[in-house]
Amino acid sequence: MTESLVGRGREAIDMIVDGGSFAENQVGEQSFDADFGPGAVVGTAAVNGKCITVLANDAEAINPRFPVVYFGVIGMEEAYKMAQAVYASMEADREKPLREKHPLLLLVDTPGNGPGKVEEIFGMNKATGAYQLALAEARKAGHPILAVVIGRAISGAFLCHGLQADQILALPKEYGTMIHVMPITSISRITKLDVELLEELSQSNPVFAAGADFFYRLGGVEELIESPEAMRTAVLAHIEEIYQKKESGHSEELGPWGRGRLGEARGGRTARAAALAKLQEEYEAVAENYL
Amino acid sequence: MSEKKMARSFYEASARERALGLVDPGTFTEFLGPRDRMVSPHLPVLGEAVEFDDGIVTGIGKLGKRPVFVISQEGRFNGGSVGEVSGAKMVGTFRAALAAYKELKQRHTEDFDEVRPVIAVSFETGGVRLHEANAGLLAHAEVMDQIQDAKGKVPVVALIGSKVGCFGGMGFVAAAMDVVIMSIRGRLGLTGPEAIEQEMGKEEFDAADKSLVYRTTGGEHKYILGDCNVLVEDSLDAFREALAVAAALPYEELASWNRIGSPEKVREQIELVKLAAELNPADSRDVWRYFGNERADEYQDMTTEEFLAAAKRREGAVGR
Repeated sequence: MTESLVGRGREAIDMIVDGGSFAENQVGEQSFDADFGPGAVVGTAAVNGKCITVLANDAEAINPRFPVVYFGVIGMEEAYKMAQAVYASMEADREKPLREKHPLLLLVDTPGNGPGKVEEIFGMNKATGAYQLALAEARKAGHPILAVVIGRAISGAFLCHGLQADQILALPKEYGTMIHVMPITSISRITKLDVELLEELSQSNPVFAAGADFFYRLGGVEELIESPEAMRTAVLAHIEEIYQKKESGHSEELGPWGRGRLGEARGGRTARAAALAKLQEEYEAVAENYL
Repeated sequence: MSEKKMARSFYEASARERALGLVDPGTFTEFLGPRDRMVSPHLPVLGEAVEFDDGIVTGIGKLGKRPVFVISQEGRFNGGSVGEVSGAKMVGTFRAALAAYKELKQRHTEDFDEVRPVIAVSFETGGVRLHEANAGLLAHAEVMDQIQDAKGKVPVVALIGSKVGCFGGMGFVAAAMDVVIMSIRGRLGLTGPEAIEQEMGKEEFDAADKSLVYRTTGGEHKYILGDCNVLVEDSLDAFREALAVAAALPYEELASWNRIGSPEKVREQIELVKLAAELNPADSRDVWRYFGNERADEYQDMTTEEFLAAAKRREGAVGR
C-alpha cells in the first residue's frame, strides 16, 4: 500500500530530519511570529547532525487575514516569510567557506499562489518574485538548495517554491505527486484543443503532460525517489553531490540552467539548446559593432 | 522602419515595432529573426500554426553609446506566451548582455558607466504557453535565474503598455526587474482577472468590469503603489526616452528602484502586506485614498499628464 504525503508537509519534515531536531520559526538570528504566514513552515533542523534550513507548506493552516490562503497555497505573507528565512540563512553563514554554508531543503506541496483581488492589488507577483530572487541569490552564494516534491507542485507556486533550487527530487506519481501548470482538461478549455488529442499526445510528448516522470525527461526533476522511506537517504546524498559540484566549479550543472542542460541530455528539451547556440552565434557575429 | 511608424502608440505597436522603436533608428539587429525559422517544435504536433520568430523579437540596438539588449513579446501570437524556444530566446539575450558587460568592463576602465549595457523587456504576455506548458514553466525559472545573474552588473528594465498586459509567471519576472516603466494602458499582475473570477467567483472579481480590472492592475495603481517606477504617455517615443533616462542613471541609484531582491526591500513589502490585511480593500481606490489621493474617483478619467500632476504615491515609492 503506497501512502501519499499530499497535505502532510510537517510529517515529511519528520521523516527526513533527525528526530526531534526541527525548531520551527527560528532561522539564524531571525525569529518568526507563529501567526505570520501560517501556510509556510520555516525553521531549522539537523540531518545526520548537519544544520539545515527547512521550508515547507502547511496544508492544514488557513491564513485568517487572507482567505484565499489555505490547503498549502503560498500567499503574500507566506512567500515573504520564506524569502526572509532564505536571507536569514545567508546572513548566518555570510563569512563561512562553501562547505559550511548550510543547505536549504524545500519540501514542495503547494497548489498555487494566492489568487485574490487583494493579492493583485498589493502585488502577489512581488511576493513570489521576492522568494525566487532570495533563493537564486543563496544558491549563487554557495548554499546547497534541494527541493523535494512530496505532493502538489503546481505552476507558479512550483516556480516560487522549487524551481530555483540546485536540484529537484520527486516522489513518483504513485504517491499522489502532481507536477503541472494546469490539468489537461483546463488546457483544453483555454487553448480550445481537443482533450482526447491532448491526452493521447501527453503519452509521448512530455512538454504538456502532467507528472514527475515527464518532468524527469525534461530535466525538470533530477531524480525520482522510490518511496517516502528513501527520502532521507536521497536528501543526504544529493546535498553532498551539490556541495561537490559547487566546490569543483560545476555550478552550471545546477539550478535552472543545469536543468536545461539535463533536459537536452535526456532528449526532452532539445529546441532550447539549439536556440541558445544560434542566438549566441548571431550575437558574436555583430558584437564588435556594438561594443 | 519609417520614422512615422516609430511615433506610433506603444499599445498598438507590434513586438517588432516596439523593439525597433526602443533604440536609436537604424541600430537594431535582430537575433533569431524570422529568417532563422526557429519555430516551436511543439505547436505542429497539436496542429497549431507556428510563427518564424515564435512570438518574440530579440536583438541588440543602441541608445547613444550604450548597447541595449531588447526582448519584445508579441501578444498577437498565442497571447505572447512563453514556450521552449521563445523562453530560450529571452535567456540567450540575457546571456549575450552579460557577455557584453564582461567585455566592456575590460575595455572601459574609465568611462564604463557611459557604455554599461542595459536589458529592456517589452512585455505582452500571459506567461506560460499552455501548448508546451512544462517547457514554458522551466523557461520562466531560467529567466529569473538570469535576472539574479544580472544584478550588480546590467540594469534590467521592464516596459509594460501593450494589449495583453503582463500576467502569469511573467508578472513576477517583471516585478523582479530593476525598473518598471508603464503607461496607464499597461496592466501588471500574477493571476489574471479571468482566472481569479473562475477560481474564486464573480463576487471576488468581476473580470468583465474593465474599469475594475484597470484599477487593480493598471499603470496608475502600480505607480501610486510604487510597483511601477515611471509612468509615461502611450507612445513608443515616451517609452524609449524613459528607458534612456533610466539607463543613464548611476547604477546604484537605478538598482535602488527595485521593489524586491534584498532583505530591506522584503521588510518594506511586509509592511505593505500588513496594510493589505488592515485595509482589506474592496477596490484599489481605497488604497489610493489611504495614500492621500482624495480625488481617487476622478483618476480614471484623467490624461496621463493630469494624473501625474494629481497623484500622491506611497511613501517609499521610487522613480521619476
